[in-house]
Amino acid sequence: MEQWHSHLLRERVDQSSLLIQGNRACALGALDAGVTFFAGYPITPSSEIMEAMAEELPRIGGVFVQMEDEIASICACIGASLTGKLAMTATSGPGFSLMQEAIGYAIIIEAPLVVVNVMRVGPSTGRPTAPSQGDVMQARWGTHGDHPAIVLAASNVADMYRLTMAAVRFAQRFRTPVILLADQMVGQMRESFSPELVGRYRLTSGDFDFTPGYIHPELAREVRPPHVLGSDEHPHVTGLFHDETGFPTNDPDKSNEFLRELYNKVAHHRDELCLYDVKNEGKGRVCIVAYGSCARTARAAWRLAEYEGLPVEVLHLYTLFPLPVEIIQQVARRVEFMLIPELNLGQYAHEVRKMAEQWTTVIGMGKIDGTLFTPRELLDRIAELIGKYESV
Amino acid sequence: MALEIERFLHTERLPHIWCPGCGLGIITAAFLRVVVDLGLEREKTVVVSGIGCSSRAANYLDLGTVHSIHGRALAVATGVKMARPDFTVVVFTGDGDGAAIGGNHFIHACRRNIDLTCILFNNSTYGMTGGQTSPTMALGDRSTTARHGQVEPPFDLCRLAEAAGASFVARGTAAQARLIERLIKQGIQHKGFSFVEAVVPCPTEYGRRNAQKSPLEMLDNERARSVTEAQAAKLSQEELAGKIVTGVLHLDENAPEFQQVYAASARAQAEKAGTRVQIDVTQKPPVGEQK
Repeated sequence: MEQWHSHLLRERVDQSSLLIQGNRACALGALDAGVTFFAGYPITPSSEIMEAMAEELPRIGGVFVQMEDEIASICACIGASLTGKLAMTATSGPGFSLMQEAIGYAIIIEAPLVVVNVMRVGPSTGRPTAPSQGDVMQARWGTHGDHPAIVLAASNVADMYRLTMAAVRFAQRFRTPVILLADQMVGQMRESFSPELVGRYRLTSGDFDFTPGYIHPELAREVRPPHVLGSDEHPHVTGLFHDETGFPTNDPDKSNEFLRELYNKVAHHRDELCLYDVKNEGKGRVCIVAYGSCARTARAAWRLAEYEGLPVEVLHLYTLFPLPVEIIQQVARRVEFMLIPELNLGQYAHEVRKMAEQWTTVIGMGKIDGTLFTPRELLDRIAELIGKYESV
Repeated sequence: MALEIERFLHTERLPHIWCPGCGLGIITAAFLRVVVDLGLEREKTVVVSGIGCSSRAANYLDLGTVHSIHGRALAVATGVKMARPDFTVVVFTGDGDGAAIGGNHFIHACRRNIDLTCILFNNSTYGMTGGQTSPTMALGDRSTTARHGQVEPPFDLCRLAEAAGASFVARGTAAQARLIERLIKQGIQHKGFSFVEAVVPCPTEYGRRNAQKSPLEMLDNERARSVTEAQAAKLSQEELAGKIVTGVLHLDENAPEFQQVYAASARAQAEKAGTRVQIDVTQKPPVGEQK
């Protein structure tokens, strides 16, 4: 892995596999992926990401600015992104709500950017110190208008590292903001972690290109040329619908083409964008479809199920949007039930149901009390579903 | 000169969308004369604007131009400037964009004293949306949302900027094209946050609702109401009512500029940590060249 700089957080981690907090692993992933600009505003439970970036960025020649609110934070990131820098911000529910308009702006001007949302229980101030997955649909549809969205979900400390790197890579490759969802539990927990052990998606720095305004050659057709301030093109950047010159257009044909291209550059690359993991593949009558902290519970439930002789498989989704249609339908064809535990009232279960209900029965399990599911809760529900429950 | 400023205009996009008699073109032309005069490089000059009539100026300038979202131009510009300190970054905003929805970013950009130049086109109304009340509209003025007269007092944006920490604060009017040109030039040359308020007429949405029917009448009125700071010092509070105080109203050349302070701090931190990073704020961005 080629290091383009070294930073203290990394050096400390390199010494041994350490206990590290999810939020700090996120910062580490960002730095390793080449993020050099961070603007943020304090909010529980994501502040540690900002604190780590504030400590690391200035001394490695990057920029950290604490802005006056979350709107300013994401806007400053957009400004930096327009100069070709890799920019990131991190927040939680209330701040994420404030950022929505600017997320739409970043989408329409095709500015690469990473937004981390460490979810807490909402709406409103809600419960700042409890985990939730209540922002899933907001991450998809929070900003107004039809738009593409790339949304990843982290379930542990290693995910916080590698999915942050993936988010940076996707942002650069597709020239769009990428949203990484975590929750209070994943963000603030500590786990044993070493960057060397997380190479599963080959997300090493070799996969990243640090050239300002870089476009992946395979995407040159679909992604418009980047707007890099300071380049010879002296571009015009606008949130209005624009044509290939960058200037506004009200032409119906051009408007149509503009939005469809914007949408399709993500929709047409699901195969690359959809990261997932299947456990006990093809051996279950029930599949637990889970993401984020619920995926941890699902994995534990699967191990317990093996022990108890229940036929369970687990589909762990790391990418929530674009919808991983292919794998969900593939699994749906072979299982009797899909069980979707979520720390919300069924936001993602609705999406899965739309894709899978012609083949299987989709059962949502929602929890909104600020606690996690226990593996036993999932197993009890599974046993109930397949009629094998034998009470002692 | 006319030809020279055309080098920085997308002439193929003209005529502009502004109404006849609008003052925005006067200020935009003054800005372009400064660009020519200072010999600013096209590649290193960025104009960031928000939303509204004033912000549409960015559409016509052949520079790096960012037409951003409502109220957030200063926040976007802060990102651009922090990422590329070698750029000259100028913000075009209006009284609604900069002082209402963007008021928070405005005071914080002033407080940071970051080296941006903010030109605020103050026409005391929301022109693009049809003449609603703006935060700089005088008490008693009429708008489409104050048919019987404005009931709130207006902001004095220059005093606000000064109190918030801007190190260069100036005001001019569209009736004084040469003055405004001088002020913009001084603002761009000044190291620190420069705020230039340009009072401009909006005959269509403001004038016709407030008994100022012709553009000329509005410009004459602006000129008649303008007093220099020296003249203003001799006037009583009553005599000052309705006057527009013009010129450089505040200048602090010793106020620490944000990026200088940031770079010094970053350099010290890098030294302490033993990281070998080139940081030279006066010439290069504080961001080390990426591989």
